[in-house]
Amino acid sequence: MRVIRFVLNGDPVETAAPAHWTLLELLRYGLKLTGSKQGCDKGDCGACTVLVGGKPILACLSLAARAEGQEITTIEGLMPLHKSRGGSGADPVQEAFDACGALQCGFCQPGMMLSTRALLNQHPQPSREQIQAALSGNLCRCTGYTQILQAVETAIAQSTGAPAPQPAWARDRELQGQEPQS
Amino acid sequence: MAARDQHGPQAPWGDAFQVVGKPHRKVDGMAKATGQAIYTDDIQLPGMLHAKLLRSPHAHANIVSIDTQKARAIPGVHAVITGADLPTRYGVIPWTMDETALAVDKVRFIGDPVAAVAAVDEDTANLALNAIEVEYELLHAYLDPREALERGEPTIHANKRGNNVSKQVDLAFGDVDEALESADLVVEGDYSFHGSTHGAIEPHCAVAQVDAQGLLTLWSSTQITHYVHRALAHVLDLPAHRIRVIQPSLGGAFGGKSDPFALEFVTAKMAQMTGRPVKMLWTREEVFYAHRGRHPMQMHYKTAADKDGKVRAVDAKILIDGGSYSSFGLVTTYYSGQLLTGPYAFPAYRFDSTRVFTNKPPCGPKRGHGSVQPRFAFEVQLDEVAEKLGIDPIEIRRRNYLGEHTQTVNGQRITSNGFLECLDKVERASAWKERHGKLPSGRGLGVAGSMYISGTNYPIYPNDMPQAGIQLKVDRSGLVMVFTGGNDIGQGSNSVVAYLVAEELGLELDAVRVIAADTDLCPVDLGAYSSRVTFMVGNAAIDAARKLRKLVVQALAEKWEVPEQRVRLVGGFAVDLEDPERHVPSREAFQLAEARFDTLGSTGSYNTPTLGGDYRGGTIGASPAYSFTAHIVEVEVDEETGRIRVPKVWCAHDCGRALNPMLVAGQIEGSVYMGIAEALLENHDMNRFGLHAGPSLLDYRMPTTIDTPEIEALIVESVDPEGPYGAKEAGEGPLHSAIPALSNAIFDACGIRLRHLPFTPAKVLAALREKRAREAADASVSTSTSSTPAV
Amino acid sequence: MLRLPQFELIEPSSLYGALAALAEHGPDAMVLAGGTDLLPNMKHGLFEPRMLVSLAGIEELRGVQVTSEGGLSIGAMTPLADVADHPEVRRRAPALAQAAGLVAGPQLRSMGTLGGNVMLDTRCQWYNQTHFWRQALGFCLKKDGTVCHVVAGGKRCVAAASNDSVPALTTLGASLRFERLGQARTIAIDELWHSDGANNKRTEGGEILTRIEIPATPAGHLGAYGKLRDRGSIDFPLLGMAVRLDLDDQGLVEHADQVVVALVARPVRIKGVHEALLGLRPGSADFEQALVPLAEAARRQCRPMANIPGDEDWRREMVAVFTRRTFLAAAEGASD
Repeated sequence: MRVIRFVLNGDPVETAAPAHWTLLELLRYGLKLTGSKQGCDKGDCGACTVLVGGKPILACLSLAARAEGQEITTIEGLMPLHKSRGGSGADPVQEAFDACGALQCGFCQPGMMLSTRALLNQHPQPSREQIQAALSGNLCRCTGYTQILQAVETAIAQSTGAPAPQPAWARDRELQGQEPQS
Repeated sequence: MAARDQHGPQAPWGDAFQVVGKPHRKVDGMAKATGQAIYTDDIQLPGMLHAKLLRSPHAHANIVSIDTQKARAIPGVHAVITGADLPTRYGVIPWTMDETALAVDKVRFIGDPVAAVAAVDEDTANLALNAIEVEYELLHAYLDPREALERGEPTIHANKRGNNVSKQVDLAFGDVDEALESADLVVEGDYSFHGSTHGAIEPHCAVAQVDAQGLLTLWSSTQITHYVHRALAHVLDLPAHRIRVIQPSLGGAFGGKSDPFALEFVTAKMAQMTGRPVKMLWTREEVFYAHRGRHPMQMHYKTAADKDGKVRAVDAKILIDGGSYSSFGLVTTYYSGQLLTGPYAFPAYRFDSTRVFTNKPPCGPKRGHGSVQPRFAFEVQLDEVAEKLGIDPIEIRRRNYLGEHTQTVNGQRITSNGFLECLDKVERASAWKERHGKLPSGRGLGVAGSMYISGTNYPIYPNDMPQAGIQLKVDRSGLVMVFTGGNDIGQGSNSVVAYLVAEELGLELDAVRVIAADTDLCPVDLGAYSSRVTFMVGNAAIDAARKLRKLVVQALAEKWEVPEQRVRLVGGFAVDLEDPERHVPSREAFQLAEARFDTLGSTGSYNTPTLGGDYRGGTIGASPAYSFTAHIVEVEVDEETGRIRVPKVWCAHDCGRALNPMLVAGQIEGSVYMGIAEALLENHDMNRFGLHAGPSLLDYRMPTTIDTPEIEALIVESVDPEGPYGAKEAGEGPLHSAIPALSNAIFDACGIRLRHLPFTPAKVLAALREKRAREAADASVSTSTSSTPAV
Repeated sequence: MLRLPQFELIEPSSLYGALAALAEHGPDAMVLAGGTDLLPNMKHGLFEPRMLVSLAGIEELRGVQVTSEGGLSIGAMTPLADVADHPEVRRRAPALAQAAGLVAGPQLRSMGTLGGNVMLDTRCQWYNQTHFWRQALGFCLKKDGTVCHVVAGGKRCVAAASNDSVPALTTLGASLRFERLGQARTIAIDELWHSDGANNKRTEGGEILTRIEIPATPAGHLGAYGKLRDRGSIDFPLLGMAVRLDLDDQGLVEHADQVVVALVARPVRIKGVHEALLGLRPGSADFEQALVPLAEAARRQCRPMANIPGDEDWRREMVAVFTRRTFLAAAEGASD
């Protein structure tokens, strides 16, 4: 067993794990933070993406010991403080993913949202190509990525006060005089 | 008897909808956004054991002996079982139960489960697996379906006929031969479709627990709780009322979690044996072996048409590679023929489909079950008919339009049909008229159309009970709890149910909560397959809510001494329409009704009307309503590399009514993505050993954000008379025509017809070379003929 | 979940500590850099070291420096993402920056290191699989078996060098600094390779690749990396090719080079490149014309095999296409 001390979602953690445990196992089974998902076993899908020092990495290919001394953010920490603790509630990325329908089965989305958060921290107003590149290590099987890109661009628009981009289906319905997006 | 279609497609109060038709968030959206949603592998119970499967390394072999002594002796190992411990056969279709949880006597593909271990942790379980000794006697392995068709011995499954045929269906409607004889044009060709798999990001997982009273609870990543419940009772020989099956949040399915699987039986059995909770989580590799994905098909089609482009007859012969077990294969075989008879009118139609067993992972239902492959072949052939007759590809599809409120040649009832509007929309949105046939070389547009079922009236096991049931329970707080057996697999069915109940009862969405897919708590629903959930569970929800509403309205009408028509439930209130000052919150309205009538609740259900042709198999594929789709795909073909880029896809889909257009668009977009993905990148391929060529998400190339086209989802609302407020399916139909539209676009781009999937760059280059050679030969022929006098 | 085998983890905070640990444990120990290659390989049962010596805590192995001669000295543990984004790498070694930016996907580039990419194990579709999978076909030459599934009757492993960074480093004339306890050696990257896919590197026990040294490139240096892969992210190369063009002060080619990976066990330097392009002006019609026979020559010299996924005949055809396109991409830098 290796004793590991790090900062997890803002809180200091002292824990222990066998040397051959991955960070994903430590988070999910050791610390019971099950928001980080396991999809492929070996670094091919991105569902286990967490932020280490603000950078997205794959927890399934990181040893648990890699957490030592690091600041780690998981999906549970993306809402840094619940409103009940004086925080601001959900991250705008989480809000936008929900509002845009980007969460179908939701399984890949913790990783997707963390990759998004890391991108927006570095580039608050990325181009469509930059978004696609930044999310290209996170596979989603439900959405065809369309509502995910919509969500990321909506989160960006919110941060700048710009109007949210309108999806194709909503434009089409507006042309027909049907309900605009509420 | 179960209610159907008496609610009509309009809003409950006859005017504008309050909830339906708006892009509301999903009921579980924030739970998923914050990581709070619990999926099966997130369940961790005290004392839980971890189970693993030993799998066959041989494609086809008899099991001579299994020795588990050494494995049992390893400290930390609590149970080791083999096929002898779970010998009862099961299968999702009652007529073809040919699976066992662990192999009994023989193995049929590389990856077939042979034994199982439960231990204190996965490492110990793996150690024990290595200690199990199995002796095999190898048998000839069938990897080629044609060989399996032609050669009888050895049989993969013993059958009376002594062959490897899983199912054969031969049906004819109208005089096909006469039409082939007399039509102006017959186009004939071979087409093939390769295997692909679902690729849900969540691997299969199950957790079983037996409590002190002996009640078995199974949490499983299944998309059909009810069938797992039935299968567990059958295989464990346990009364069904001693079993509770729960589907936690599910990380995608697409048909891949429809069958009962080994892990469900094995964890349950081992929980019974050990008295401890047992979990089994499959590795990604194991998910590839579980498969049940798209059947490879070799298809031969003939289409007869007259000069005006009207189809006179279609004749199909199809060989289906089923892999090693039946799964849904009986249905697949029917669907491969039965679902082609729209959106176009076929005066005559014949199909002859044969599914054979091979020693490969079993095929089953993948999004667009059984009908994606024939749709590809036919729509590419129809494009060729249009080309030969000099008719615009959209125009030929319009000319053959089946119509609404009619019947197909094979006796399927068609209600609403928005196909023409689908064609109009994609034609306009893609600027087809200005661009088709006119883009620079290497760029092109292609069109295709399709239809799909909104569930069918074939309930898998014969019974007269409803296909879908709903219970509502009202709390004095104003909260309405909805209990549904429907499986929310990410498509948002729980949200749809909440929208419908809120609409009917005039509630804010947060006053409705949904409990789903728990066999102890929820009335039976047949599960998330065949695109049946919105249609059937939706109708059941309206049915239940309307009964409840009647009670509430009656109680208020009596209290206010006004006719019931004056009482309206809306926006969280009950209102007197003629005296709006008189209103009470829903909470008070419910309390009044409870005081007036008794503890408040209701049930609702849905069953299909009698449908289908009057012939054997005529009910398979008979749906209460069909969705219709048109795709236009734009491609860029790199003629040097052979690579195909799809910059954009327009997909118009007739979903009857969009109960939530955002969720409908999500289904359309996901379908388009998945169709283009399997056409261009994905291949569930076996190597020469019968071993999956690359069972990982590295080698099985699912597209990333960068590889996915821009997708424009366009919604057509034909408002079906029998759907819930007119809704039909949206989750599978929009996949079908993406693939033939892509092939047709490649033809527009560079004049090659790709009839064999997947469209790899090597195939594109080969087709381009062949085209150039043909053109060169034609040129030399025309030169020589012009210089040579006619004889 | 696919499990890692058990091992002991040693986490030295200095290079000395790491070298000492390697010296102490000998062949029982393996070096862990970013882990993006070794850990999946360990999950596959391809390596079962008793001891892993992690280099993650060794600060001195990280970072990009410009040398006094104008070259680059890159610590082996520098993440690929940092190499790709580093302005001096982009300016002085554009092909390397491009190649580093095309390795796998974004997360793996934050984890994976330049040194790790150089030391990447060779790849083969019959090898990069689980123990169960490999066992089902009786294993292979490279690991646990005696037959080759790529070449019938083959006695020498043909697993493919698949390191995206290596073609660029080779055209740049990079040298590699290896250290072991009390010793150090620097070799040209060309000298690293064997043509045996089972172990394609001439390394000695107890060694760590510590630095990658790239000599100064001239003012007229151009370079590009062309990567053939099925998807726009995640995938290993089906073909990876770096080209180099150094222009004199007249803008004419005075040196040209081309190196290809994802073919066989070692990187392949295309012969005749320098002669074919010498004295030509990138962007000119002569230059483009010269690329046609050069592309054909490259195709003739490269023989992709059925070792990695993708139709090998198509991959061979793509050698020609990518040769032309990658030189043209490099030439585009000329007009900047």
